[in-house]
Amino acid sequence: MKPADRPAPLLEIRDLAMHFPVREGVFLRANNSCRAVDGVNLTVAPGETLGLVGESGCGKSTLGKCVVRLHRPTAGQIIFQGQDLAHAKGAALKAQRRQLQMIFQDPVESLNSRHTVGDIVAEPLVIHEIGNAASRKARVRDLLAKVGLPADAGDRFPFEFSGGQRQRIGIARAIALEPKLIVCDEPVSALDVSIQSQVLNLMLDLQREMHLSYVFIAHNLAVVKHVSDRIAIMYLGRIVELADAETIYRAPRHPYTRALISAIPVPDPARRQQRIVLQGDVPSPIHPPPGCPFHPRCPHATERCKVETPALRPVGAEGQVVSCHYDL
Amino acid sequence: MPSADAPLSAIDPVLEVRDLVTSFDTDSGRLKAVDGVGFSVRRGRTLGIVGESGCGKSVTAFSIMQLLPRPMGHIDGGQVLFEGRDLTQLPPEEMLKIRGNRIGMIFQEPMTALNPLHTIGRQLSEVFLLHKTTDRRAALAMSVEILAKVGIPSPEVRVGEYPHQLSGGMRQRVVIAMALACKPSVVIADEPTTALDVTIQAQILELMQALQDEMGMAIILITHDLGVIAEMCDDVVVMYAGRVAEVGPVDRIFAAPSHPYTRGLLASIPRLERPRKTRLKVIEGLVPPLNQMPAGCRFQNRCPFRTDICAQPPPADFVTPDHQVACHRWRELPAFQP
Repeated sequence: MKPADRPAPLLEIRDLAMHFPVREGVFLRANNSCRAVDGVNLTVAPGETLGLVGESGCGKSTLGKCVVRLHRPTAGQIIFQGQDLAHAKGAALKAQRRQLQMIFQDPVESLNSRHTVGDIVAEPLVIHEIGNAASRKARVRDLLAKVGLPADAGDRFPFEFSGGQRQRIGIARAIALEPKLIVCDEPVSALDVSIQSQVLNLMLDLQREMHLSYVFIAHNLAVVKHVSDRIAIMYLGRIVELADAETIYRAPRHPYTRALISAIPVPDPARRQQRIVLQGDVPSPIHPPPGCPFHPRCPHATERCKVETPALRPVGAEGQVVSCHYDL
Repeated sequence: MPSADAPLSAIDPVLEVRDLVTSFDTDSGRLKAVDGVGFSVRRGRTLGIVGESGCGKSVTAFSIMQLLPRPMGHIDGGQVLFEGRDLTQLPPEEMLKIRGNRIGMIFQEPMTALNPLHTIGRQLSEVFLLHKTTDRRAALAMSVEILAKVGIPSPEVRVGEYPHQLSGGMRQRVVIAMALACKPSVVIADEPTTALDVTIQAQILELMQALQDEMGMAIILITHDLGVIAEMCDDVVVMYAGRVAEVGPVDRIFAAPSHPYTRGLLASIPRLERPRKTRLKVIEGLVPPLNQMPAGCRFQNRCPFRTDICAQPPPADFVTPDHQVACHRWRELPAFQP
């Protein structure tokens, strides 16, 4: 898609930063900060799925939580339908949140075990004062049917359901207000393989039917690639590469993206591949390395990478950007 | 699946499990978590056990190691043959000499497998003091040596540190060092990389392969990740609901899976080369709870090829001399398309 053909973005993230104070020492003074998200720019078009991939601690979940304003970002803007949510509060924020929902990773932790499934799914309707008791009940029935749960599910409790079914409950709750955008934080990584595909199919069906946009956060690149239109790769709080899903997989430019793809075990014994095995661990976001954040693990790092932080620049395919000094 | 007459067992097995039945006492009675599982592990090779949560793969591992939680867990039948002995019949003090010495174990969660209150050196030395030496200094020197072998930088410093001072990948290296300390002939690795990031997983898998090439131990690798199985294993056991669905060489199982469950699993994983945003194939329904297992084939409620015959216990047929499947209808299934 050429930039001109792209519809106006539903969500635009500008220079977003989320720094958490790190309290240390006897007086627990905040002398340091954990730069979980450090200058991120992203857009999400209506009906689009943006995949967000990275390893633990790269800031992908923090970014997702900033978007739905479970965190108040340190700096930057979150422009959703033309309004900046980064510093919105009260009624203005609540109004926008109707359009902005979240699906969580852990289907056990994210459902209140003392509420019935019906109450859980109806809660967004109650909070936003939509309909009356009877109409809500009917709406909950529709929603449960839509996500493929049995009709009597509304009167039961979360513990009576399996992991996959609980994730369906979470999805029903997220779509109850007919949102425009859903942030999905590792929605299938706690599920077994045979259940994972059921839930992914449901999410794809709902997207088509309701014209939803997803921000799909996961560490499993194969899953992300299957559901996403574009994919952003995060490392230490920054986007290191962004491109359409096919390009990320076929023509990755950043050495980290390449290592990440080659590290995925391929379920085909005939294709045991030569892996690029990265040395070392991800550095702490409290003390990120100077220069390019990836340079301590990069097989191609030079002196320049140790001092100069690369900016995102366009390369190769239309819309592909990468933060690396070199054309590898 | 009975493997007493299986040709796999003819190829120099280092460990053999026959008709293992393991059950647990629960509020709803005694339930069989593993029900008649059999396979053999070839010397110096890697056998994968794959299956979903609750299929009994970890219980099988704990049964081999005689580490079932007491008093709820019991081995109700079958044999675990290792170095000419049946481990299920050994008295606990004999088992102590085998566990950690002849058979090592790598656990999933390196933080809980290590004692947070003891230094790395002290925990590793314990293994050597139990099996190899009585001299603490010698044990510590051995610890430094094995840490170097698993790729831990400056091991002489690390022995004095505590588990929390290491990263997840480094901790898993320590757990591997512990499992391999006494040069066992078999190592059981229960989801060794599930808690790790992909780039760290790649490091650990590479390390396990390099150590196997060098030390020649057999590995039983338990995982839910078919990708890890494909990359690491020579043979694979596919488990479903406490039983073996299919067993054979990894190339055959992936190219010509004969059990509808194996086929369903292989077809349902998202793959990088598949077209995006298309519907994935699914295995409909859920695994029945252990106390509501159907008679006959346990996969029947989810199987697209089910007929009346599936209410009978499935045979353990040989597709090829080394590929065995527990399905009535495997001959009639259409050719597999991933």
